[in-house]
Amino acid sequence: MYVVIVGCGGVGYHLTKALLAAGHEVTVVERNPAKCELLFEEMGSVVSNGDGTAVADLRKAGTARAQVFIGAAGRDETTLVACQIAKHVFQVGHTLAVVKDTKNEPLFSVLGVDVVVNATRLVVTALEEGVPGQPLVHLRNAGGPNQTIVSVPVPEDAAIAGRRVGEIELPPHSFVSLVIKREQALLPAHDVVVESHDELVAVTTVEEEQALYEVVTGV
Amino acid sequence: MEAIIYGGGRLATTLAQELTEGGYTVTVIDSDADYLESVSAPPAIQTIRVIAPTMQDVLAEAQLATTELLAALSNDDQSNALVAQMGLHVFKVPAVICRLDNPDLRELYSGLGLKTVGLSEMDLFSRIRQHVAGETDD
Repeated sequence: MYVVIVGCGGVGYHLTKALLAAGHEVTVVERNPAKCELLFEEMGSVVSNGDGTAVADLRKAGTARAQVFIGAAGRDETTLVACQIAKHVFQVGHTLAVVKDTKNEPLFSVLGVDVVVNATRLVVTALEEGVPGQPLVHLRNAGGPNQTIVSVPVPEDAAIAGRRVGEIELPPHSFVSLVIKREQALLPAHDVVVESHDELVAVTTVEEEQALYEVVTGV
Repeated sequence: MEAIIYGGGRLATTLAQELTEGGYTVTVIDSDADYLESVSAPPAIQTIRVIAPTMQDVLAEAQLATTELLAALSNDDQSNALVAQMGLHVFKVPAVICRLDNPDLRELYSGLGLKTVGLSEMDLFSRIRQHVAGETDD
């Protein structure tokens, strides 16, 4: 596969090396000439010195024949413009953006960037999964600008333990989409009984997730 | 009626004054404190200083959701493109104007439904382009 990456910072650099190691053809566009020289010494001609938001520089990097385009610049603004040029000027089939500000994610999705990866969110999710006492885990965005899919384990002494899914009063825009029990995962039919140590996967909104968490974990 | 101007400069100062006279409540967003002080001399013009690069917070604070007009006029094409598209697609502002000095970007974003303006130099550039392409003006 031919991949063009914009930005050879922390993310772009390791991405370039990993993709090369996996046998892909890669060009990474980097604005800083001094950095390009260092990278050239290490990786050879995969580095192209240029502005990732300049049509001519992206053309020089061969964006027109790229199957995948990855925006991984230092600023989200740059990543956005680079991805939009790739998509609309060069008709690249798959555009991927590594976004820094969580709040920019919806915009990238609305504008048709195919995959939006949020480094900050990944770290937060890793923290939530790794640190006990913060068991609400963000699984992914649900498509809408505000919707998110979360997973919450039902604690030992939760008030909802022993009740049916249909009886649990959730915030208005939240609903359970899966009940994961020890042996199997169940669709949340009204008569499925929730027990301690089950895990509820729910669709919720940014505004409601705290309220949802309190309903599920309240004693 | 509310209007938000992102990015300063003389262009923004003039626009802010004209809009104020035309009955708009104007908010100017910029990173330069001295500039903002100069622009807010008429009391009707509010200012917000951008410090951290959290554009969404700044735009939410400026109450973009209830504004009628957003003009992204900073000297940074990329920031303007992000702010303008945020206004248009996330906050659904009815009128959005985006300054883009790079003619390639103007072409791209005009095609994507954004109202774009460039510096007069850029108009000159496009005229030279037309001339080179063999088109005549009149």
